[in-house]
Amino acid sequence: MEEKILEILEEHCEEALDYNGESMMEDGIIDSFTVINVISDIEDEFDIEIDAKYVVAENFKNKEAIIALVRKLLEE
Amino acid sequence: MNTDTTFQQVIVIGYGKVTGEVLQYVYDRKAEYGYDLAFIEHEVHPFSITEKICSENGIPFERITDKKELAAKLDKLTAKTLIISASNNFLFPSSLVDKPNVTIINFHNALLPDYPGRNAPTWVIYMGEKETGITWHYVTAGVDEGNIIVQKRCEITEDMKAYELTEQLMNLAGEAFKESFADIMAECVEAREQGFAKDRRMYRSYEVPADGLFELTGKPEDIYRLLRSVDYGKNDIFPPMRTVIDGREVEILRYRKIPADKAGIEQSGGQEEKGFRYLPLRENTVLKLKYVCVK
Repeated sequence: MEEKILEILEEHCEEALDYNGESMMEDGIIDSFTVINVISDIEDEFDIEIDAKYVVAENFKNKEAIIALVRKLLEE
Repeated sequence: MNTDTTFQQVIVIGYGKVTGEVLQYVYDRKAEYGYDLAFIEHEVHPFSITEKICSENGIPFERITDKKELAAKLDKLTAKTLIISASNNFLFPSSLVDKPNVTIINFHNALLPDYPGRNAPTWVIYMGEKETGITWHYVTAGVDEGNIIVQKRCEITEDMKAYELTEQLMNLAGEAFKESFADIMAECVEAREQGFAKDRRMYRSYEVPADGLFELTGKPEDIYRLLRSVDYGKNDIFPPMRTVIDGREVEILRYRKIPADKAGIEQSGGQEEKGFRYLPLRENTVLKLKYVCVK
């Protein structure tokens, strides 16, 4: 699962893979349009729906946060 | 570059990508021109970067979500002020627009005079336009009616979704703003009248293409265009599109254009019965719909 998410991130924003900070958005690594693309691909890949309530900066602050979000949704 | 200006103050209002780009640019020019700069956030955006730009650069930041409060604040302006409205849905009252010391410019995400009002990227895709663009214009009392400062064009490609077009338009808006800023500050823009027709249609925020419904028996290309036109990712600008499948009303959760051979494999694996529907598109492609029953 992690590998697939990293592949998706690599496709839309390679810099996200090497980012170790606490806010990809504020640090200019990703923007809201990249988030839309990443979400769309994750939903397709894992056949899950990411509700809008989860689309907040905290869940997209770095690659670990995105992986944690998907893991949580897959477990629900 | 000529940096003479009589503007004493610049106020940026808006949210989103283009607002951040404009705010940063105006801040970077502040020392050259000598104006005061302030930012007002009227609509809160979950991924806004404007607050960070303000805090890093010491730009006064105010969040005023109440329309009356915002109007009252702006009405008190006494300094010669340029208001830059970028991705902003606050309608400036005529009392403010008419103030001699205030000039307001606005970014619109279409080629005015066409597609005034809300959600222009949606309507240009839905109407099957091949080209659109952006307009920076002066603000008058009428919505999206002021004289044009600058326009830039872009192509609408055949698979383009509303959010992809929006991103492209934001980039164009940033470019156009930077190219026009010196003339705006020097008040020497050769602005041109829009020359709109009397029957010009204004698109309202409550309007939804096709009223949000489609027939599964319709042309798949038209269905695909409708779905792309309202696709802003998780931004719930429009409700999910609806149709009837096997006698039941359903909401479309996701859609994808996929190769026909991949669709064949998925269908033989039983996906057709599990909330998916496949419609043949052009050139060996298929529109894959994921849906959920609502009634």
